[in-house]
Amino acid sequence: MLSRRHALAAFAAVALTAGSLPTSSSAAAETLTQASLRLKWLPQAQFAGFYVALAKGYYKAEGIDLTINPGGPNLLTENLVATGADTFGLSGGTDSVFAARDKGLPIVCIGVSHQITPFIFVTRKDGPVKTLQDFKGKTVTTWFTGANHVLTGMLAKEGIKADELKIQPQQVSVTPFVDGSVDVITATYYNEFYTIQSRMPKDSLKTFVAEDYGITFPRDTLIVSETTAKEKPDLVKAFLRASLKGWKDAFADPKGAVDTVMAVAPTLDRAQQEFMLTEVKRLMTAGKVAQNGLFWIDPEAIKTAHDFFLKYGVISKPLDLAVAYDASFIESLPVAERRP
Amino acid sequence: MSAGSAALSVDQRGTAILPGWLRKTARLLLGLVIAALVWEGAVRLLGIKPYYLPRLSAILAAMAATPRAYVDGFLRTLAETLIGFAAGGAFGVLIGIAFFRLRALREMIFPIFVVSQTIPVIAFGALVVLWFGNTLLAKAVIAFYLTFFQVTVNTLLGLETVDPKQVALMKSFGASPHQLLLRLQLPTALPHIFVALRLASSLSLVGAIVGEWFGDTTGLGVLLLQAMYTENVVGLWGALLASALLGTGFYAVIAAAERRLVFWGAEQ
Repeated sequence: MLSRRHALAAFAAVALTAGSLPTSSSAAAETLTQASLRLKWLPQAQFAGFYVALAKGYYKAEGIDLTINPGGPNLLTENLVATGADTFGLSGGTDSVFAARDKGLPIVCIGVSHQITPFIFVTRKDGPVKTLQDFKGKTVTTWFTGANHVLTGMLAKEGIKADELKIQPQQVSVTPFVDGSVDVITATYYNEFYTIQSRMPKDSLKTFVAEDYGITFPRDTLIVSETTAKEKPDLVKAFLRASLKGWKDAFADPKGAVDTVMAVAPTLDRAQQEFMLTEVKRLMTAGKVAQNGLFWIDPEAIKTAHDFFLKYGVISKPLDLAVAYDASFIESLPVAERRP
Repeated sequence: MSAGSAALSVDQRGTAILPGWLRKTARLLLGLVIAALVWEGAVRLLGIKPYYLPRLSAILAAMAATPRAYVDGFLRTLAETLIGFAAGGAFGVLIGIAFFRLRALREMIFPIFVVSQTIPVIAFGALVVLWFGNTLLAKAVIAFYLTFFQVTVNTLLGLETVDPKQVALMKSFGASPHQLLLRLQLPTALPHIFVALRLASSLSLVGAIVGEWFGDTTGLGVLLLQAMYTENVVGLWGALLASALLGTGFYAVIAAAERRLVFWGAEQ
């Protein structure tokens, strides 16, 4: 009931500002626009910049009354943004944006957070797997939410078919790998890889990285609905401006950023969150970000990922990439503001 | 007169029961202490690795380190559970009575209820978030969804156990349908309804916790999820203990209410 009233108020506020002069969003601070950001997962340092921007009032200064809604295991950010339940979304990645567009969901990617593949395949250094060829006949666990395609893509480059190994859906815990019942496990740099390293020494591990096989898989995509992109471009730009400030602050003061995140989720492990922020910074500032700034949408990387997914049948038809990935919002901001 | 003598007898029973009640509580506490000692001792002596089973003292220390998270989570989940339970209970009883009275309505609606219960709550949860957002109401709706059906079915079952001879007797004294319901049918159905309410007390907690898995910031379900996915085993146990406390407490309250309201239950 309350949220509906809020939504109505926000709608009225937007209608009023849209009806009057095209005010710059910072001047419209007295009429805050209600908006929400749906994350891909629960509050953690992976999203520190957004929480910092919220805590420091950067969204308010841009005229946005932002609510950050955490994700969960059964939520699809693309759906929530497409239906208008949430204004902004930090969704799975290029894979989920492609899949959503392929299904006809009216969403647009306005920025890419992780410029390189955020997950790797991990095995024991003293184990039987030395090269990709050794994956044959072994037990490999992975997530069937995108990582599985990267795995099959890497294997295909080496001429290995997916049915030559035992690929199983990966459960939450890394224990099956630590116990030795699984030969190869999928891990994000910032989360599972940390957990594995807390249970076995880092130099006992061997990793397989997608980039070494010519595949890059940009993930953590910022999305809006087509309606928002078309009707509220100033809101989108204001959101990006505030988010950029929040992220740059988080990189400049990682301890303070982890404090902000842990104020939202106090039961988190501080050491793990600090590790996560370091790794997330590396992923977010990789590639061409030094010149082009954060949330850069690299057309080449998108095109390569698109062709890859098309080839492996993840998407059924070629997509109009210019519609699915709209870099005009991020590019409209001065590059100095965007550089980390 | 009769009310006074009833109060007196309750009083007498009350004083007679009190030491026994105390004794029961003492036994319960003793049982808990023994379980805690066995837990702590087994982990230490057998050298169980903390990611399989952490020491109880480590779990309690972790809870004490961030008490706000657990207290806030407990209260939030409690609120969701209570709202869902109350709505589910009231709706269940009312619709159970309606089904009992109006056979046509029952034949029309009951199959839809059955179908609604075959939808896995996980599938339903994503929809609830679309409709209600990350609100307390969304979780209460899921708790409601898991509870009302049990209560409906048991209310109906209870009402149907009423002896037709008793109905005929009351009717012969000129009892109105309203009087029949309040004085005979509902009291007869009450033991059945309470069986459903006890079930519903734990189901509504499950509903609230599952509801919190669809994106929220506070609640025991959030703590569970967070701990599960960061492999924070100590935190996982902390959230489990808090959930167990909430579930057991709620169940105990319902069972106590049952003992008071269905005091003739022992005769059956």
